[in-house]
Amino acid sequence: MVMQQSISSASVRKAPARRHDRGRLMQEAAMLAPAMILLTLFLILPFLLSFWTAMTNQPLVPRPTPVRFVWFNNFIRIFQDDLFWTALWNVSRFTFWIIPAQCGLAFVTALLLNQKLPFRNLLRGMFFLPAITSMVVVCVIWGTLFQYPTGPFNQILGFLSGGAIQPIDWLGDPQWAMFSLVLLSAWQAYGFQMIVYLAGLQGIPDELYDAAKIDGANALRRFWHVTMPGLRPTHVFVLVITTIQAFKLYTQVAILTQGGPKSSTETVVHYMVRSGFEEQKMGYASAVSVILFVIVLIIALIQRQLLRRFDV
Amino acid sequence: MGKRLLWSLVLSSVLSASWAQAAEKTAIQVMHQGDPGFVAAYGKVAERFEAANPDVDIQFIYAPHDAYNEKFSAAVMAKQLPDVMELDAPFLANYVWSGYLQPIKPLIDKDLLDDMTESNIAQGTYPIDKDLYAIGLTDSSVVLYGNKKYLEAIGARIPKSVDDAWTREEFEGYLEKLSKLDGVKWPIDTFRGYGIKTEWITYAYGPILQSAGCDLIDREAWKSEGTLDSDACVDALAMMQKWVKNGWVVPQSAGTNQFFAEGNPAALALGGHWVYAEAVATMKDNIVVLPLPKFGAKGASPNGTWIWAITKTSKHPDIAAKFISFLLKDKEYRAYVASQSGYPGLKSFAAESPLYANGGPMAIAFEQASKTAVSRPPHPAYPTITSAFMQAVDEAFNGGDPKEALTSAAKKIDEDIEDNDGYPPFGDGQ
Repeated sequence: MVMQQSISSASVRKAPARRHDRGRLMQEAAMLAPAMILLTLFLILPFLLSFWTAMTNQPLVPRPTPVRFVWFNNFIRIFQDDLFWTALWNVSRFTFWIIPAQCGLAFVTALLLNQKLPFRNLLRGMFFLPAITSMVVVCVIWGTLFQYPTGPFNQILGFLSGGAIQPIDWLGDPQWAMFSLVLLSAWQAYGFQMIVYLAGLQGIPDELYDAAKIDGANALRRFWHVTMPGLRPTHVFVLVITTIQAFKLYTQVAILTQGGPKSSTETVVHYMVRSGFEEQKMGYASAVSVILFVIVLIIALIQRQLLRRFDV
Repeated sequence: MGKRLLWSLVLSSVLSASWAQAAEKTAIQVMHQGDPGFVAAYGKVAERFEAANPDVDIQFIYAPHDAYNEKFSAAVMAKQLPDVMELDAPFLANYVWSGYLQPIKPLIDKDLLDDMTESNIAQGTYPIDKDLYAIGLTDSSVVLYGNKKYLEAIGARIPKSVDDAWTREEFEGYLEKLSKLDGVKWPIDTFRGYGIKTEWITYAYGPILQSAGCDLIDREAWKSEGTLDSDACVDALAMMQKWVKNGWVVPQSAGTNQFFAEGNPAALALGGHWVYAEAVATMKDNIVVLPLPKFGAKGASPNGTWIWAITKTSKHPDIAAKFISFLLKDKEYRAYVASQSGYPGLKSFAAESPLYANGGPMAIAFEQASKTAVSRPPHPAYPTITSAFMQAVDEAFNGGDPKEALTSAAKKIDEDIEDNDGYPPFGDGQ
């Protein structure tokens, strides 16, 4: 009955709309215009420009020599540069580590903070605090924590192991540098994923839990058969957001390691900034940015596929 | 009532007069870097300058040392170049070639020009037109500092002048002996703590390559391949890599003060002239200052420092030059620089610096300037040259293959030169 009503009212509304098609189109265009203009100005145009720049030898600042079209020369050079591949490999490594670390941490804290704990909101605020602290500040503080050989981390490790663990050169050892950045980054940013998970958890209707209880499911089974399926879209969203963010790793590198030691923390964005601003090769840096765009685009497309498969 | 009116009239006329005066002032923008001590010193000089020239307003723009060129590029793009700018000498060629600076010889006080040391003239001169574009009170050098106690313990020979500097064999032998000495944690501090992306790398380690008989780039053909990746360079970088591998060098993460830190964990220090002022405060007369070792047939030492130039877009180059002249002559500023073991770039300033005079503790550093100083390549591609070299050094110090690292650096440099059509007129006269 309700359905019938809505259908009939829709068809009633449809008829005059057809008559004023053009007027409506104009109206829609006018409403879209501000967004489209802004999008074009700040997103589409810059991207086209960077694609254009990527095919020239444009320097950072004006120079006496002419700017030339070099077509795909920059891209060829980037692909031939070992450092670029190292950077790409490093970012992939970082992503591979940060997803379990950051999302796992976020998931566990979200589960804990979803319980009816005293001071729950205060705790949530506390756990979220690092996420709104400037990464620069976090890096400076962690830089001191990581210090070799006398920094707090090394002292704690030494104390706990009774001196068995030798001090680790967290940021100066190619074996450890990227791992240290993973630790720091996971700690700084997991608050965001935690909030998303909390929202996801609260989106699962209580009725489902009640029904499961009546059916005699224990806590573990409720977790596996109610919580986890209910969080599926959240998992996918968090996974994709974390991956994309991980590919943009820059601040930590710029402040703590400058890409070293032995290029073990060089990242694509850091490589781009280095060629654009230090070596003053804007064209080359633009080419790197185009490549990064394509990579992130591919990730976004995979995201869409995943979302579709999970019927979200 | 009438009185009040009169007062307000007087007051407003005084106010407007002072406003008018403020508006008439010529603003001179000065872009600079420096640690807090120097920044404060510049500020005081500006106050004295403004007192002497009430119609000028000096406005400072501070840019941090490590991001100075980036900040300068931003100023170029925003078309907001300052009138006066401080610049690091090896980047001068790039700035002049790009057309940012104007020759300063006709603008600066003549007595200052006559007062410049040869290496000071060299650091401010653009090699193509041989014109002077920048001037500084100071120059710079790197020496080898030694802990007297440790050197005596291993019976090391103490050179008295640049001419009898340690040879490579002596130097490496001493490093080995020092590594076994009680109390010495690391035989040498090469100030890796400054970071892997700092001009220090090219400035201080470049001369080791030059002393070993090679260079960052061929200075006539302006081509890096065949020079930076030559056997001599690879051998020199491999030698430094060996020091690091053997645990002889203070690691980057240990900071920059291991030579004069408590307990003196480092026995030697390959450090800039400024280290002396820091070290002498804690080590007193336990420091010996040695010339840089000879790693090949000849010695080599770096030069060049932050110097002052006037931009082409300056509307008041005469006043800008007046300020630079004023700064370099300012007594109190000179006294401050001298207290920071500033390396003289003016003959008169050398006379005021007993540290560098004959028999002074840093005399050897001053001697290097005339005997072994090699400037960094004065070429517009320098930003890429130094960036590529830093990358290679970081590779090698962390176990990478020196030959591969230098080959890829040389390739990167040549590509940049090619991208800019050889930076004409450089390379034309080959």
